[in-house]
Amino acid sequence: MAFIAQLQTADLAVGIFFLGLYGAMSQRNIMKTIMSVGIMDLGAITFFMMVNHPPDARPPISSTPVAHMADPVPQALMITAIVIGVSIIAMCLAMYMRVAYRYGTADWSILIRRLEK
Amino acid sequence: MTLPIPLHLLVLIPMIAGAAGYFLPQRAYHRLLLLVNVAVVAVALSIFRDVRWGSAIVQRVADWPDWIAITLVADLYSAPLVLLTALFFAGTFLFSTRADYLDKTFLFLFVLLESSLIAIFLSGDLFNIYVLIELGMLIIAILIMYKQDKQSVYDAMLYLMMNFIGMAFMLLGIGYLYRMTGVLDLAGLQQRLPQLGNARAAIVPYALIMTSIAVKAALFPLFSWLPRAHGAPSAPSIVSAVLSGVQVKAGVYLLIRVSQTFSAVIDAAPFFMLLGFVTSVVGFLLAIAQKDIKLILAYHTVSQVGLIVMGLHLGSEVAFWGGMYHIINHALFKGLLFLTAGIIIEEYGSRSYAEIRGVLRHLPAVGIGTLAGVLGITGAPFFNGSISKYFIQQGLQGDLGGIGMFLINLGTTLSFVKYSVILFGTPNAPQPPQRDPWVACISLLFGLACLAGGLFGGPTVALVYGPQYSAAGALGLEKITSFVLTLAIAVGAYLLVVKRIGGLLLTVRSAKVSFNQITVLLTLFFVGLLGYTWWSV
Repeated sequence: MAFIAQLQTADLAVGIFFLGLYGAMSQRNIMKTIMSVGIMDLGAITFFMMVNHPPDARPPISSTPVAHMADPVPQALMITAIVIGVSIIAMCLAMYMRVAYRYGTADWSILIRRLEK
Repeated sequence: MTLPIPLHLLVLIPMIAGAAGYFLPQRAYHRLLLLVNVAVVAVALSIFRDVRWGSAIVQRVADWPDWIAITLVADLYSAPLVLLTALFFAGTFLFSTRADYLDKTFLFLFVLLESSLIAIFLSGDLFNIYVLIELGMLIIAILIMYKQDKQSVYDAMLYLMMNFIGMAFMLLGIGYLYRMTGVLDLAGLQQRLPQLGNARAAIVPYALIMTSIAVKAALFPLFSWLPRAHGAPSAPSIVSAVLSGVQVKAGVYLLIRVSQTFSAVIDAAPFFMLLGFVTSVVGFLLAIAQKDIKLILAYHTVSQVGLIVMGLHLGSEVAFWGGMYHIINHALFKGLLFLTAGIIIEEYGSRSYAEIRGVLRHLPAVGIGTLAGVLGITGAPFFNGSISKYFIQQGLQGDLGGIGMFLINLGTTLSFVKYSVILFGTPNAPQPPQRDPWVACISLLFGLACLAGGLFGGPTVALVYGPQYSAAGALGLEKITSFVLTLAIAVGAYLLVVKRIGGLLLTVRSAKVSFNQITVLLTLFFVGLLGYTWWSV
C-alpha cells in the first residue's frame, strides 16, 4: 500500500486523463463520450497546474513571499486552457443537440447507419 | 535602415479589420477585407524579403527576457508559408467576389481563420501554438457546417471531437515538457532538452505532442476526419480550398518544427517516412473508390500530405527541400482544383463524376484551370508537381524506393484519370454558364502558377528557400517517357479494372469508422510511437 501513499496529484491527473481516454474509446453514447473528452482535458489541465507546485505552495498573489509562491506561469496558462475547453465542450453539446434531433439517436454506431448516403 | 516590421501586424491586421468593419454593409465589408488582404500580402512579401536575403527575424511580444516572453519567429520555414497563406486568402477573396453564400458572419470567421493560421506559422511558443490551433479548430468546425445541409453537422462534430482529443494529448505533453525543462519556447526547449542527461525522459512528451500533430497533419491512421471536413457538402468551395491548400500544411509545418526541437534527443525520421508512404498509398486507394468529385480531391489531399511527410523525413537534403516545395505546389494545384470543383458543382447541380461531362467546352476557363491542376498534381512534365516529385525521388535509395514512388505516381494518375472524365464529352449542364470574370481570372492565374512552377522549378526553389538544385532531370526524355508510360498504364487500369469493380468500390466507399474506433486508432498510434521511440533511443 506504500505505492498508493506515494501518489501525488500529478500522477492522479495522468490517471484521470487516461480514464477519460478509455471512456472515449468504450462508450457508445455520444453524451458520455463528450463527457469523457472533457474529463481528459481536465486531467491534462490538473497535471499542468501541479507543475512546480510544492506541497506548501500558496497562490502567486503580490503579498505572498516569493519563496512560497506556486509557479505563476502554469496558473496563467491554464486559465486560457480552461476557457478554451469550456467553449469547445459547449460547441460539441450544441452540435450533439442538432444531430440528436435530426437522427433521433444518441449512439455513435446507430448514428453512422442512419447517415445519408 | 528602416525600422523592422513588427511580425504581429500580420496577425492583427486581418483580425482587427474583420472586427472593426463588421458594421459595414456586406459588399463594402467584402471590399474592405479584400483590401486588407492585399495589405497583408504586401507586409508578408516584405518580411519574406528580409528573411530570405537577410536573417531570421525573432521578436518578443513584450519586454520579457528570453524564453519567458512569447516569441514570434519568421525564418526560412515560416516566412514562405506566411506569404503563401496571405496570397491564397487574397486569391479566394477575389474568387468569391460575386458568390451568393457569403454573409458577414462567414466573412468574419474566414478572415479570423486567416490570422490564426498566420499566427501558427509565426509562433515560436508551444502553448501559443496550442491556443491558436484550438481557435482555428473552432472556426473550421463552424465553417464546414455553414450551410447545415445533409450530414454536415455530424462531420463537424466528428472533426471537432477528434481534434479535441488530439489537443488534450498535446496539452498533457506540453505540461510534461514544462515540468522537465521549465520553458515553453521552442528555441529554449531545443537547448534545454539535451541537458536533461536522459534522452528517454523526453519520450513521453514527444509521443504525446506528435500524436496530436499527426492528427492535425492527417497521417495514417488518423486521417478519417480530413475528407469529411475538406469535402463536406455544406462547406463553400473557398473553405475547402483553404483547408486543403493551407490549413493541413500547418500540421506538416508543426511536424517539422517539433521534430527539429527534439532532434538532439529523439529522431523518429524512419517512422514518419514509412508512415508518410503508407498514408500516401491508402489515400489514393480511397480516392479511387470515391464518386463525389470533392471527396476524390479530399482523399487526394491525404495522399499528397503523405508524400510530403515522406519527402521531409527521407534524410536527404534534396528530398527535404523537395517536400517543402511540394507544400507550396500542393497548395496551388489543390486550391485550384477545389475552387473549380465548387464552380463545377454549382453549374451542373451534381457532385458525382459520372454525371458531369464537358466542362472544357461549357466553362472554358474553369476547365483549363482544372486541367492545369490535374497535370500539376499528376506530375506531368513542365508542371510544378513534376519538379517537387523529382526532388523527393532523388532522396530515395534502391529499387524499393523507386517502386514505392512509382506506385504513388501510378495511384495519383489513376485517380485523376477518373477525375478528368468530367472535362471531356458533350456538356450536359442544365443552363448556360454564368459569366464571372474573377472566377475565370483566378482559375487561369493559379493554372499559370502551376505551369510557371514547373518551367522554372529549380530557380523557384532557389528563390524561395535558397538551395540551388538543378531540376533539368525532371524535364529529361526519360522522365517524359516514364510519365507517358504511367499515364498509359493508368488509363488501361481505369478502363479494365476500376470500371469493373464497382461493387468493391461501393463497399470501400460506404465503410465508415465510428468515433470509438477513431479513438482506439489514436491510442494505438500513441502507443506505437511511444514504443518506437523507446526502442530507437
